[in-house]
Amino acid sequence: MKFLKKVNGVFCASEGTARLSALKEQSIKTIFFFTAAFAVIVVSFILLFLLRDGYPIFIDVGAINFLIGPEWAPTAAEPLYGIYPLIIGTLLVTLGAMIFSVPLSLGCAIYISELATPRIKAVLKPAVELLAGIPSVVYGFFGLIVLTNFIRVSFDIPTGETWLAASVLLGIMALPTIISVSEDAISSVPHEYKEGSLAIGATRWQTISRVLVPAALSGIAAAVILGIGRVVGETMAVLMVAGNAAIIPDPIWNILSPLRTLTATLGIEMGEVSVGSEHYSALFGIAVVLLIITLIINLSAVAILQHLRERRTAPAGRKPLIPPGTRQKIVFAAKMLGLALLLVLLTAMSWWLAPVVLLAGSLWFAGRPFMSENTIQKSAFCLIGAATLIVLAILLIILSDIVINGIPALSWEFITQPPMDLGRAGGIFPAIVGTLYLVAGAIAIALPLGVGAAIYLVEYTREGRITKVIRTGVDLLNGTPSIVFGLFGFAFIVLYLNAGVSLLAGQVTLALMVLPTVIRTTEESLKNIPQSLREGSLALGATRWQTISKVVIPPAVPGIVTGAILSIGRAAGETAPIMFTAVVFSSRFLPDSVLDPVMALPYHLFILATNVPGASMNQYGTALVLLLLVIGFYAVAIMVRTHFQNRSRG
Amino acid sequence: MSDAAIITTNNLNLWYSGKHALESVSMKVPKNRVTALIGPSGCGKSTLLRCFNRLNDLIDNVKITGEITLDDENIHAPSLDVVTLRKKVGMVFQKPNPFPKTIYDNVAYGPRVHGIRDKNELDRIVEQGLRHAALWDEVKDRLDDSALGLSGGQQQRLCIARTLAVEPEVILMDEPCSALDPIATSKIENLIDMLKEDYTVIIVTHNMQQAARVSDYTGFMYLGKLIECGRTKQIFEHPTEELTENYITGRFG
Ligand SMILES: Nc1ncnc2c1ncn2[C@@H]1O[C@H](COP(=O)(O)OP(=O)(O)OP(=O)(O)O)[C@@H](O)[C@H]1O
Ligand SMILES: [Mg+2]
Repeated sequence: MKFLKKVNGVFCASEGTARLSALKEQSIKTIFFFTAAFAVIVVSFILLFLLRDGYPIFIDVGAINFLIGPEWAPTAAEPLYGIYPLIIGTLLVTLGAMIFSVPLSLGCAIYISELATPRIKAVLKPAVELLAGIPSVVYGFFGLIVLTNFIRVSFDIPTGETWLAASVLLGIMALPTIISVSEDAISSVPHEYKEGSLAIGATRWQTISRVLVPAALSGIAAAVILGIGRVVGETMAVLMVAGNAAIIPDPIWNILSPLRTLTATLGIEMGEVSVGSEHYSALFGIAVVLLIITLIINLSAVAILQHLRERRTAPAGRKPLIPPGTRQKIVFAAKMLGLALLLVLLTAMSWWLAPVVLLAGSLWFAGRPFMSENTIQKSAFCLIGAATLIVLAILLIILSDIVINGIPALSWEFITQPPMDLGRAGGIFPAIVGTLYLVAGAIAIALPLGVGAAIYLVEYTREGRITKVIRTGVDLLNGTPSIVFGLFGFAFIVLYLNAGVSLLAGQVTLALMVLPTVIRTTEESLKNIPQSLREGSLALGATRWQTISKVVIPPAVPGIVTGAILSIGRAAGETAPIMFTAVVFSSRFLPDSVLDPVMALPYHLFILATNVPGASMNQYGTALVLLLLVIGFYAVAIMVRTHFQNRSRG
Repeated sequence: MSDAAIITTNNLNLWYSGKHALESVSMKVPKNRVTALIGPSGCGKSTLLRCFNRLNDLIDNVKITGEITLDDENIHAPSLDVVTLRKKVGMVFQKPNPFPKTIYDNVAYGPRVHGIRDKNELDRIVEQGLRHAALWDEVKDRLDDSALGLSGGQQQRLCIARTLAVEPEVILMDEPCSALDPIATSKIENLIDMLKEDYTVIIVTHNMQQAARVSDYTGFMYLGKLIECGRTKQIFEHPTEELTENYITGRFG
């Protein structure tokens, strides 16, 4: 009955109104097409503008010299623009981060998917999500205050701002990505494999290590690649702890040496460079290189996951991508390479570590035939449990450090007063308001565009070439490092469109950054609406748009809202995109119009932590407020999600 | 029953989060014979089968009372290792579930997890298992291909070979032919006939003819209870219970 009422506007269609409504349908479809094409347009604009401002350096210095030039000294009397040390720095940091992160993540993922009881799972999964929700500038702040000091003291070196610090910190930041994607991969291995293996009399550990993990291997690979993408694209955290000397560690495995990544270079130098200079174009050249690297990384992860999804749905009988023999060889080579790298790094940390690990390893292999499967299983489960505990401990340490030190700073004045004495005294009111303005504007722009794009993708087209192009555009946008958005926003919105450093420029830049999240979550919730609902409505003679607006969208609203709030949380914690487009450090006033610059919490924290000595109290206060704000958004999103889930069930 | 029993259950009860799925089942499974379990859908055949190798342990909120013995040993005794039990009681599932590995690695999986490393020994076991499962001739030239490339019937025989390679005492089969065509089905039925020389087979089936053809003993289950159990010939020709007769003759419900 309810159904009929919804569509009964269609029944009395005469000749003329029929034509009119066809026209209306067509124009609605066109509008949605443009919102969907927007992602592709943005990607091309980003590339275009980075190239426009970056290409002079490729002409002046030459692409090859730019890439392999051994020295980066843009402010020397004879400036040198070789980004080789920066590329190596990025590589080394990523490598170290993965060595730290992959074993922990895998252990944790296995624990969550195979060993945890439902109740423990219900604690662990949100904990991992929480780890993902901490803004990168807060990670950077924690790294700068706690981690670098810890490294300085433990290794007795003059400064802890090192490759090691950067790798550990970025490794921590990569944990949630790798854990959640590989946990998903392991959990979706068909249940029959597990039963088959256990029914043969394999132990749980044998089942995990010989059937489940191998079957989930491509998903785990994709997880690691996505983690690498996260690390390579990260700016603020690495900038705050890596020491930033543009040198190649000497010797190359000296993890206590400072180094500098591509992203950090942009973060540090973009603010001081004069527009149009050779240095300026060199920075855009770096952004181009960075963009290309991250695009390759993300597209390969997407390709692997895509292949997996097809394999899961396709009937059995298709040849696997890599023949099993070759696959074994690849896995073996990867293991050996990993082992060699690990040993080199261990040696670098302390001379006795490598021999000890080697000895333990060979003891293990020598003793293995004599150990019962039960003993092996016990030791493996111990390691897995330990990895999970370490991940939890990391989360607890970070949260408790910020909460314990931040609470004394919190007061009514702190959140209602403007800063004084460079932020050492006074409050952060303008920063809170600025951040809220920024995210409100960003979501106001991103929501219609993103929802429109998702509606087009799900409701108006079949999978084909057009959707493929659009999806690739969205994936590319999703993989673009936030600092690249910052540069693009500066070149395009601030300069080219002449908006100046302003609230508006920041809002647009952030909107572009969260657009893929909005599109994806909306797509997900639209896809969850059963096809039968649409068919039911169309069969009653409703038009496509009537069906979408009256039948499909209403039940999808909770999903869309959740996605929007998650995007807000993400945008609120970002620093790199607004650093050159929207913010000022200290302002006593709120902006009068969208063309004024604003203060923002993440940037305020960044400057307090790196440039203002003696602001310890207010640093922690700002970090805590930012953390609470972001986590608050996430909590609301989760509450919305569960609320509607329960309602639709009950 | 005259034959010696290998598995006995005594007053076995099972609850799935409160739902009573097996009600005081007491039965004897004779050694080196084929026992068929029949009964309407949802009556608890799979559940009973999965009790014998304690695969129900994997499911949350399962409560079991009563006793199951294998070779006069209580399989729920704390001293008994469930891995050892499953080594002795192999299982073939309704849907073929080869691992996403090569054909060779699928069959070698069991021996490997039980500690056999010697390549020649493994080769021998793999060949023997595949021959036993009447699959050897079809796959001997492609042992290194993925098992997922086999047809459904071949996959099911591979799963049987995989089970045989562990040399269990009992083989549980849960509707092993339900996804197969008549030719593959008859291959597997012949196989079961051969298997009983060395193994005890318990097979769940919805196919009356199949039960009559392959089994020596038959148990009829209804709503979680074992209604009656005895020699197949007797159950099919002179059932003592009216329920059984109705079910077998198709006059049900
Ligand atoms: N994991 C489970 N959780 C809860 N209930 C279950 C579970 N597995 C089975 N059941 C219930 O237990 C009863 C017996 O199920 P079982 O699978 O043993 O039936 P079956 O005789 O094998 O049926 P079929 O012939 O359809 O395979 C059914 O009512 C089923 O709903
Ligand atoms: Mg069943």
